[in-house]
Amino acid sequence: MNLAPPAADNTPRSSASELTRRSFLRSGSAAGAGLVLGAPAVLSAAAQAAPSDEIRVGFIGCGKQQEVLFNAMKNIPGIHYAAVCDIMKDRVGAAFGRIRAAFGNSPRRYFDVEDMLAKEKDLDAVFVATPDFWHAPHTVMALESGLHVYCEKMMSNTIEGARSMVKAAETSGKVCQIGHQRRSNPRYVYTLDQLINGNQVCGHITSINGQWNRGVKSSQDIKVKASTLPDLAVMNSYGFKDAHQFLNWRWYRDLSGGPISDLGAHQIDIFNWFLGTAPTSVMASGDKNHFKNREHFDNVMCVFEYDTPAGGARAFYQVLTTTSAGGGYYEAFMGTEGTVQISERDAYTNIYRESDAPSWDPLVQRGFLKRGSAPAPAAAEGNVIAAYASAAPEAYELPGALSKPPHQPHIENFFQAVRGQATLNCDARHAFESEAPIYWVNPAAEAGQTLQLSEEHLSV
Amino acid sequence: MGYHSGMKDASDLNSKPDLGGVFGFWVLRLWLAVRAVVTGIEKYSGSRSSSEAVTIDGAPNTYGLTASQSDKVYGLEHYHGVPETLAQRFADEPLIPGAMLSLFDKVLGPALIVLGLMLLVGLATRISLLGMGLVYVALTVGLILLKQDAGVAWLGVHVGLVALALNYVPHNRLAILKKW
Repeated sequence: MNLAPPAADNTPRSSASELTRRSFLRSGSAAGAGLVLGAPAVLSAAAQAAPSDEIRVGFIGCGKQQEVLFNAMKNIPGIHYAAVCDIMKDRVGAAFGRIRAAFGNSPRRYFDVEDMLAKEKDLDAVFVATPDFWHAPHTVMALESGLHVYCEKMMSNTIEGARSMVKAAETSGKVCQIGHQRRSNPRYVYTLDQLINGNQVCGHITSINGQWNRGVKSSQDIKVKASTLPDLAVMNSYGFKDAHQFLNWRWYRDLSGGPISDLGAHQIDIFNWFLGTAPTSVMASGDKNHFKNREHFDNVMCVFEYDTPAGGARAFYQVLTTTSAGGGYYEAFMGTEGTVQISERDAYTNIYRESDAPSWDPLVQRGFLKRGSAPAPAAAEGNVIAAYASAAPEAYELPGALSKPPHQPHIENFFQAVRGQATLNCDARHAFESEAPIYWVNPAAEAGQTLQLSEEHLSV
Repeated sequence: MGYHSGMKDASDLNSKPDLGGVFGFWVLRLWLAVRAVVTGIEKYSGSRSSSEAVTIDGAPNTYGLTASQSDKVYGLEHYHGVPETLAQRFADEPLIPGAMLSLFDKVLGPALIVLGLMLLVGLATRISLLGMGLVYVALTVGLILLKQDAGVAWLGVHVGLVALALNYVPHNRLAILKKW
């Protein structure tokens, strides 16, 4: 593969002129066919009398996340899996096997992204599931090649990389969805539309509390058989100095944003999406408490401050990689009348009505909420300490669940947008606006200062 | 008559059935057969979930919120020889070649069913018991590598029962093929 490790500006080693030439050729042929520049490639395929309106998809990066994405999309009709690419032969083989087992066709196998983009002239879209520091180069490369892109979050390991993705998406006119899959999850959309905004069950939201607690056992280094690894020279050419970096890139500062980015990005995105605004400041603390040899903090805590139309609000977020207890992962929106604690997992989702808030019985009768199965704890009589506590809130539940893999609705939205049937739920610009504050958490923790977030910090 | 009145030779056993020994072997044969057959069949089990839109304000919601029900089903498409949770850990073990793991994954379920049925009907009882014992030993190797000591002990009980059954074989009755 003739791509260098990404430079600071995330420009891939590949010749820019070559990519531009390929983009030009593709755009030129589309224009020659009477199609406007930037029209979805699926339309150009239709114009060339393709046998069906199937969207032809390729995968860039075939590790664990590719498997998650594929399992979430294999039940979506109208997709042809045409190509898979990774620098690790075993991963390419595994992705090939998954596709062949599910659909019977044999996608073409590549070990070089540029080679794949050059040879796969009929591709409509690619899924980018490479390490974070490759997201921007691969996404920009694919967009400039005239392809629609679904890229995993975090957009990039640097804010400059994320900015380059927004610019490339808007310049290319192609669809670019970022993998904040909660944005398409019916449980989240319903919670925001009907419970928080529509029926205002929280009242005035003053506080947000989010976390992802993961234990030491789940945070161990990834290991594979040495015989399955790419050659060291190949890993070096892709920016990994050794096998440990290749497998555990999430712990290296030049390759990833660390746990606050890996895990926190999903949830801090929900803070900003639900509040409809970006934070005005961030303070943070982090350290290498247990995994002393890792470059990134293993535990991080941060507080964002917001100005919302209803007044000020604060959001606390913690990501732990040393303790799993404490309720798993969720985002809790806490207001004067109720709290909505939502999670991708039903088990971590709870809704509470403050004891002095208006009754929610009408909402239950109309089906907006279900009563919780667990009874509220009884007040402790005669206990002096408990006398200072508020009355226990009543517990409620969402009225329904998501019966698909969590990523499926987001991918469905992507394909609908590719077909021109929907707008993206998390395009590159909206993803950037939501992710931008996250890039400042680690610097705030290192500086030990509250960072006031300005346009300079948060804009493209 | 106790089983280990080993002074009696086979001709004594054939001429004068020891009912205790016969019934003991039947029970052991039946247990091992059922254990293997049902375990093998379970490897073809999966779940099929059905869901319908939740009604909110008198109409099915348009968000995609559903109430789900999951039913256990059986079928070839649900086959999983080695449990998925263990498969990846086995694959990471340097002493387990990938091709061997793949082969074992494919044959484990059918092997348990076939060996169990052979034992149930008394078809080459010694061979079927030996095969079953070897399957349990093979499973034990994997669990030793994963340091699953409780599982190793659990399989050790199975191997012990197989060995006991092999000792009881002279009491074998109601068998289709006694020769092997």
